[in-house]
Amino acid sequence: MSDPVLEVSELAIAYGANLAVKGVSVTVSENEILGIVGPNGAGKTTLLESIAGLHPLRQGSIRFRGNRIDHFSVHKRRKLGIVLIPQEENIFPGMMVKENLEMGAVLMPARERETQMDYVYELFPTLKERSRQIANTLSGGERRMLAVGVGIVANAQLFLIDEPSVGLAPKLVTNLLERLRQLKEDTKRPIALCEQNIKVLNVADRILGMEAGESKFCESLDVVDKGKVKELYLGLHA
Amino acid sequence: MILNGFINGIIMAGIVALPVLGIAVIYGMTGVINFAIGGIGVFSAFTTWYLLPYNTVLAVVVGLAVGFALGYSIQALLLTPLSARRGGDLNLFFLITNNIGLIFVGLTRVIFPRPIIGIPLPRLGTINIFSVQTSGLKFLALFIAIGSLLLLRAVERYTRVGKSWRATSQNLRLAKIVGINTSRAFNVASGIGCMLAAFGAIIWGSLYNLTLTTGFDLTFLGYIIAVVGGIGNILGGMSASLIIGLVLSFSAYLVSGSWQSVILYGIAMITLIVAPRGILGSERSV
Repeated sequence: MSDPVLEVSELAIAYGANLAVKGVSVTVSENEILGIVGPNGAGKTTLLESIAGLHPLRQGSIRFRGNRIDHFSVHKRRKLGIVLIPQEENIFPGMMVKENLEMGAVLMPARERETQMDYVYELFPTLKERSRQIANTLSGGERRMLAVGVGIVANAQLFLIDEPSVGLAPKLVTNLLERLRQLKEDTKRPIALCEQNIKVLNVADRILGMEAGESKFCESLDVVDKGKVKELYLGLHA
Repeated sequence: MILNGFINGIIMAGIVALPVLGIAVIYGMTGVINFAIGGIGVFSAFTTWYLLPYNTVLAVVVGLAVGFALGYSIQALLLTPLSARRGGDLNLFFLITNNIGLIFVGLTRVIFPRPIIGIPLPRLGTINIFSVQTSGLKFLALFIAIGSLLLLRAVERYTRVGKSWRATSQNLRLAKIVGINTSRAFNVASGIGCMLAAFGAIIWGSLYNLTLTTGFDLTFLGYIIAVVGGIGNILGGMSASLIIGLVLSFSAYLVSGSWQSVILYGIAMITLIVAPRGILGSERSV
């Protein structure tokens, strides 16, 4: 297996006195989807956001392609190609779909941006149909596609995607996750994907189980105990 | 008389619209009402007056550049770092920006040799509209206000920089995540806002007298009109400028000039009670 693109080791993140992530270590490699599962409050979002640079580290380190990046700003990490797609407030509501995508690719040269926008439209044809529509007039599913599109358009080296399926109808969830698998196949880029939807098992290569800020297991999909994952994802773990 | 009041009102609207636009641009981007823009505008206008004997165009350009540079630097060195540390504490920003305005009033007194000036810009001839005579300079002020509005709209709609400003004002967190330099967007907005105030002060100084306290008039007139139109709403601010311009003009004809401030603050008071978000609604978008 190739060297991991992302190496997180012994990461701890705190909000005031409360530790939200407690000593989590995980890696993500090229052409791999890491599914991160766990109940609400498990620290999944905080983990992704801290990799993107939104939270200072209490302890531990983050390496990207072998280099430590944990002292880099959000802006600098984005320039390296680390792209976070947040779960909430993930679009520019008063701007057109096309403009939202342009903002996602704001750091790219114009020609490259056009190519990437075409790729997003290929992945989500609905967005092309609605390219001139104002984002907050889209349906919930379309908004979610747009949010993912705003991330994908950046031609990332590493995608950090936070619960893209929340609030979507089952058919849309399947569709969206399939698009993410296609994204991995097309780009070969690593994807760290937080999910509470059990369908993540259909697309992930490895699963990191988290609970109360701690890593409970991190196993390949071939060996992971799916019963345990379901228990954890439903938040029924004792 | 009605026609005279109407035309004068529209022209008055053009003059007061500049600081209103400045307040709207800064609030739309940063969420802070900058009460220093009047003081900075007057300081910049004094700079223009000081340089006027050398070259008129150069003096105006330098005055505007000083307004932009001061607005940009104050945002970059003080307000943005403070906002990062203290969040959107509006009371704190009210006190701080007001203090900055006072500092510039003091600096104007210290640096420039006279406390009351008139800026003798060329009158640009006389224009006769429906038998009402007015100076070309007054019309220029109106066109500058309308031109600034249209230019800002065009920049934010059609340029990449302008779109990144809109993105920053709509979703600051996502703007940071996608890699927009949000601090620079704040600084530029503040620079543009103060430059518009400087423009307003220069024109004010060329039509009336400019004193050390004109900055407060510009700030509070701008603020009141912004409240009536909906703070941050550029079109609202422009509409309110027109309404207030007409009210001020007609009150001078129908009642007396002395009543102007009573009527003005009365309208602001009623608006705050009846429609706190202004006639067209407050918004955080440039």
